[in-house]
Amino acid sequence: MSYGILSFGAYIPPLRLSRQAILSAVGWAVPSLRGLAAGERSVANWDEDALTMAVEAGRDCLRDIGVVPPHVALASTTLPFADRSNSGVIADALNLDNRVATEDLAGSRRAATSALARMAHGGQTSLLLASDCRETRPGSAQDMLYGHGAAALLVGEGRPVAVFLGSASRHEDLVDQYRASDADFDYSLEERWVREEGYLKIVPEVIEEVAKGAGVSLSDIDHVVLHGSIDTARALAKRLGIDIKRFADTLGGKVGDCGVAQPMIMLSKVLAEAGVNERILVVGFGQGADAVLLETTPLLSTMQAGRGPQHYLDHGRVSDNYTYFLSLRGQIDIDFGLRSERDNRTALSAYYRKRRDINSMLGGRCRVCNTLQFPRSLVCVKCASSDSQDGESLSNLLGRVKSFTEDWLAYTPSPPYIYGNVEFADGANIMLEFTDFTAGQVKVGDSVRMVFRIKDFDHKRNFRRYFWKPAPLLG
Amino acid sequence: MAKGIKDRVAIIGMGCSRFGERWDCGPEELIVEAFTEALADAKIDREQIEMAWLGLFFQEQSAGKSALPLSMSLRLPNIPVTRVENLCATGTEALRGAVYAVAAGACDFALAVGVEKLKDTGYGGLPERTKGSFDDLWLPNATAPGAFAQLASAYTAKHGCDPKDLKRAMAHISYKSHQNGVLNPKAHLQKAITEDQALNAPMIAYPLGLYDCCGVSDGAACAIVTSVEKAREMGIKDMVTVKAMQLAPSNGLEMSNTAWDGSYLLTTRIAAERAYKEAGVTNPVAQLDMTEVHDCFSVTELVVMEDLGLSVPGGAIKDVLDGKFDADGQVPCQIDGGLKCFGHPIGATGLRMAYEMYLQLLGRAGKRQLKSPSLGLTHNLGGHPFRNVASVSIFGLHSA
Repeated sequence: MSYGILSFGAYIPPLRLSRQAILSAVGWAVPSLRGLAAGERSVANWDEDALTMAVEAGRDCLRDIGVVPPHVALASTTLPFADRSNSGVIADALNLDNRVATEDLAGSRRAATSALARMAHGGQTSLLLASDCRETRPGSAQDMLYGHGAAALLVGEGRPVAVFLGSASRHEDLVDQYRASDADFDYSLEERWVREEGYLKIVPEVIEEVAKGAGVSLSDIDHVVLHGSIDTARALAKRLGIDIKRFADTLGGKVGDCGVAQPMIMLSKVLAEAGVNERILVVGFGQGADAVLLETTPLLSTMQAGRGPQHYLDHGRVSDNYTYFLSLRGQIDIDFGLRSERDNRTALSAYYRKRRDINSMLGGRCRVCNTLQFPRSLVCVKCASSDSQDGESLSNLLGRVKSFTEDWLAYTPSPPYIYGNVEFADGANIMLEFTDFTAGQVKVGDSVRMVFRIKDFDHKRNFRRYFWKPAPLLG
Repeated sequence: MAKGIKDRVAIIGMGCSRFGERWDCGPEELIVEAFTEALADAKIDREQIEMAWLGLFFQEQSAGKSALPLSMSLRLPNIPVTRVENLCATGTEALRGAVYAVAAGACDFALAVGVEKLKDTGYGGLPERTKGSFDDLWLPNATAPGAFAQLASAYTAKHGCDPKDLKRAMAHISYKSHQNGVLNPKAHLQKAITEDQALNAPMIAYPLGLYDCCGVSDGAACAIVTSVEKAREMGIKDMVTVKAMQLAPSNGLEMSNTAWDGSYLLTTRIAAERAYKEAGVTNPVAQLDMTEVHDCFSVTELVVMEDLGLSVPGGAIKDVLDGKFDADGQVPCQIDGGLKCFGHPIGATGLRMAYEMYLQLLGRAGKRQLKSPSLGLTHNLGGHPFRNVASVSIFGLHSA
């Protein structure tokens, strides 16, 4: 047993927006965006937010490793709730029990790297989640540059795939960009100033400190995870004398900058591809800087298959429809008709009674006839035995589409509203709302996987409720 | 040993309002319209009515909770009135209450009224609602067409049939109901359509197009019932009697278990089996002269033909296209236009179906009169295929 990174994971929403489509829509007003109009950016579906994306990254990280973390930390600047434990909902969604300590980390793009720098010095086993879903003002450079995504690291005692060689941090109130608590969008300052005064002065300090502390020469670093533009990476590479080829892919072509999650997503991609005994430097920047130095272990190769962002990068669905993007992200208010006026008040006392049924997709398995069912019930649906069911989550089971429809009448922010009966193992059948499918895509007999998503918004009371939905299989 | 309901209760008067978008009417006017016709038909004094049942589904949109909408609309003399609600079987439930009261000997004359006033919502389709309950936390915000549309995908998957053939049969069902509706002056929709119109209509919930869906209507229907003995005392010789009234609600099996394959209506099969037994029907195709089934959507009618034993499993597409259920077919279905064209004011629908049976059995159906029918079946399916309440009732002529 030793201490380090035990597993990793990532999540990129499958929806991508072509940057050319952004330019086509707003280039008349902001022609300078032309220089950014290449590739795609990732877009959270209407039913995704920082919380749901973190759940997916967490599932990727915890899959098949048999570790139940006693602590879950969620780092984000776009937490859906300012007062309601976001990480608590995630712990439920990951089907962890209520003894798990949960913690929401916020207030800085370094929220995740700062936590990682702290974890470098040891501590309890922790699932560190980083997720951001930053909205962008139409016509802004952020509209082009930002993406949505999440990543996860499991850190603690066990069989590490990478060990910590050290960490260093600085706080400096260089306000390169900011978002006030009551603001919708980020406000960014001139990139050259940020590069020269920030990236080229503060970042080298922490890098040099951590390398010196670990006794590692900069030339022995195999991978540098640095979020930001390629120009910044080039300048820093030159300043530090590190080969630019060692700088990790910033995923600018298919994803964009995912805020708090960006260094973590990049790190998970590096971990998915790195060799053993390689050194990885992770940098977080924003009103200061963090640097964390890692070294991979021979166990890494046993953990790489299918983990990290690659399958999401390979399976995006690119849209050229800018108004669709604006509507999904709530930037324009399409008139969806009177049906969209439905009042979605949540009965929170009912929710509390059923919170594990909802958040963990906890069904019941009958001890008498072995039938699995959702929802759990006092009397078994198959054999009518009473009080015979043990809770069992269906969230990681594959389903099979039994019947479905594409409903053009019902309100959904992304028509058509697709739903149907889905069968699971051992007799379970559930009528469920589908997500991430387009019209014409679902077929009876298809396999589907479950994902944790926003079920409904209650705009009147600023609430959102979550549940599980069938989505296309990965890859 | 229970005797069942066969030939114990006679329907001696019925009425039905014109169905449709009754911008001119509230629930009160609709109730009075149906009741006035029924009372005149029954040839009794209104004071002779001793008990009443009111069927009303959307109390929030319509008339309100409790007995009061009926008691107050008709200024009933403070007799017992019970309001019932059982989804789309609500109207049938009102009639069942009245029929059972008479059969129990609790009263000589009982009244059943079903009403629904839906067209004050401001949009098409059924009213949206949220219950603030556990279901809202996980079930899709499904519409009725979306829930029923799934019968189609499951049916084609089960029987391996071409979705195009199913769609064609569905189009024929709607075409047929529109043809029938033309001959019904009380129907909401009295205009013929072509099968091509049905096939090419805008998609509502795949594969249901606009013409695969019944509309939402305002309306009321009403029955006055008495015992067969009392009817005989009144000098009625050829009377319409209740042969069977059966109800089967889901217990959750369909929605929670893979035992149901999604291609048929489990509760309809159960209710039909019980009703056939109660009425002594052993060969429905040969014995039934007509049916009014719950054609909320064309595909519902299609699978119900199999569920009622009027088509063999997997055989409904062929039977429908062969015209077996057309007005001049072997077992005409929706001779009054059905939910599709007569309309679907939910609380009134079950009673509206009984009304058509009553008119046909007594030879009073005007231009759409079938040739001397003697036995007919009505069917309601409340809720969604995966969770519903089914009713099957049989009415026939009885010679006292």
